[in-house]
Amino acid sequence: MFRFIVKRLFGIIPTLLIVSILVFLFVHMIPGDPARLVAGPDASYEDVELVRQDLGLDKPLVTQYFTYMSGLFQGDLGTSMKTKRPVFDEIADRFMPTFWLTIWSMVWAIIFGLLIGVISATKRNKWQDYTGMFTAVSGISLPSFWLGLMLIQLFSVQLGWFPTGGNDSWTSYILPSITLGAGVAAVIARFTRSSLMDILREDYIRTGRAKGLKENIVVWKHALKNAMIPVVTMTGLQFGFLLGGSIVVETVFSWPGLGRLLIDSVSYRDYPVIQAELLLFAFEFILINLIVDVLYGIMNPQIRY
Amino acid sequence: MKEKLLEITNLKTYFFTDTGQVPAVNGVDFYIHEGETLGVVGESGCGKSVTSLSVMRLLTDTPGKVVDGSIRFKGKDLLSLSEKEMRKIRGNEIAMIFQEPMTSLNPVYTIGEQIGEAVKLHLKYNKKEAKNHVINMLKLVGIPRAEEIINEYPHQLSGGMRQRIMIAMAMACNPTLLIADEPTTALDVTIQAQILELMKKLKKEKATSIMLITHDLGVVAEMCDRVIVMYAGKVVEEAEVTEIFDNPKHPYTKGLLNSIPKLGQKMDRLDSIPGNVPTPANMPKGCKFAPRCSQVMDICKENEPDLIQVEDGHKCRCFLYQNEMARVVN
Repeated sequence: MFRFIVKRLFGIIPTLLIVSILVFLFVHMIPGDPARLVAGPDASYEDVELVRQDLGLDKPLVTQYFTYMSGLFQGDLGTSMKTKRPVFDEIADRFMPTFWLTIWSMVWAIIFGLLIGVISATKRNKWQDYTGMFTAVSGISLPSFWLGLMLIQLFSVQLGWFPTGGNDSWTSYILPSITLGAGVAAVIARFTRSSLMDILREDYIRTGRAKGLKENIVVWKHALKNAMIPVVTMTGLQFGFLLGGSIVVETVFSWPGLGRLLIDSVSYRDYPVIQAELLLFAFEFILINLIVDVLYGIMNPQIRY
Repeated sequence: MKEKLLEITNLKTYFFTDTGQVPAVNGVDFYIHEGETLGVVGESGCGKSVTSLSVMRLLTDTPGKVVDGSIRFKGKDLLSLSEKEMRKIRGNEIAMIFQEPMTSLNPVYTIGEQIGEAVKLHLKYNKKEAKNHVINMLKLVGIPRAEEIINEYPHQLSGGMRQRIMIAMAMACNPTLLIADEPTTALDVTIQAQILELMKKLKKEKATSIMLITHDLGVVAEMCDRVIVMYAGKVVEEAEVTEIFDNPKHPYTKGLLNSIPKLGQKMDRLDSIPGNVPTPANMPKGCKFAPRCSQVMDICKENEPDLIQVEDGHKCRCFLYQNEMARVVN
């Protein structure tokens, strides 16, 4: 197991190199001229060219890439064109709010998703199942900006229980994490339901019942551990998506996270920030995949590394 | 006189499907004495397995439901017990072994955990006592390296080993009745013999009654004291094992016996019973076996015979042995 993890960690490096090339090319293909944006709309052609030289954007792409990469290997992500602050600081400021929001959303999503999924699977085609799946379909189909605005309207404006936005205290986390977790909870519920329904038809479930075990133990111990194997993969992926920051939810709740940073830096053509964020997302995804694979091995004894 | 351990009267289990109800078990009567091995024989779909699942009340994940009859075990009517009382019987007083050893063990728990679970539940053993008991059970069923096997997972073991594990699990709480549903069908012939030998040995040591469901008459000859033959959800013949082989009455039983090749006998083709088991949709009106029967009479197509005593301890459901009655109806 340890050797497997070390091997996989080394495997991250070539993947990230390829990702960095793609990201670099992609970012430089976005139409629009950052030098013009930095210099301002009234700047003369000469001024814009000066800014371009200053930013190093006049050099060939290959040279720019190597300059960027050599900085990266020394831990230097560059400077934001917009704020002139180090990109590392920009991202560090925004990472923690998004990270904690993700964690809270996933906690909700896993608790409610699992509960709804298990109840629906065990009460198949009864009212509990219909209610659960109705809730789940709603969770998937409701656009998050609408759900967010409705929650703000009800709980912040009408009842005044939670703030409308920002992240000043723990109460700020509640509404955005519910908004963000709803969709994930719905996906987890549907996955758990179908996976558990398949497992409940297995012969070893009958063996468990034939032993005289309580139905709860059969479901929560014998069936669920098997049913969780596909659910874990899916949950890991969702976790990765959320870590990237949700642009919509962060905008609705004025959340100072990575999603809003990304949209700001794209509209400003802030190349170093966009590149750093995309590389970070790629790294997070790879890391989560590794964690999922390790969990897989723990849950499924048939997998040996 | 031996006591009747299990007595089933007029059991009817129907399957409720979208296309209507299907009588999977349609009025079955039989009993098992203490310490006896009863063979339940018949083709696929004749209701053998559904009967056993009805006894265990494990029809929950099927569309099946017991609609009539009684199942008495040690004087208690199993059908009237609460789910909680039934759980105390399952795995404790009545245990079951299934056909598919490859899929009947949970892949994500160790062997020790899976056997120990029942032991802790029914015998109230603590962790250490349960572990020792499991190791002893594994040794009893002939598993080598028992101390190591308890920490292994099912996929690390062969089919024959897994069936031994299933037997160890079933026997762990010393049940008075063991229901074995085609326990050797999925195994190699050599392993089959070993498993049958093991079941015989355990039966002798523990005085367990066995209800052995099989379609293999060789297994019946090897293991059973008494046999019931089922066809289309009903018992068609019941007799001592020697009687069934020496003096079969029902044309279906004769057909089954003729379809086994005999050593030293030269034949070009094996005998087989023509046709197939009737599907519920086109169940014949009279005797369910009439369309395939070589000795079919007019009355067989109109009326269904009763299961009557033809000789001492030998019952048969066929008009050939009910001449008196046949004449009256005609």
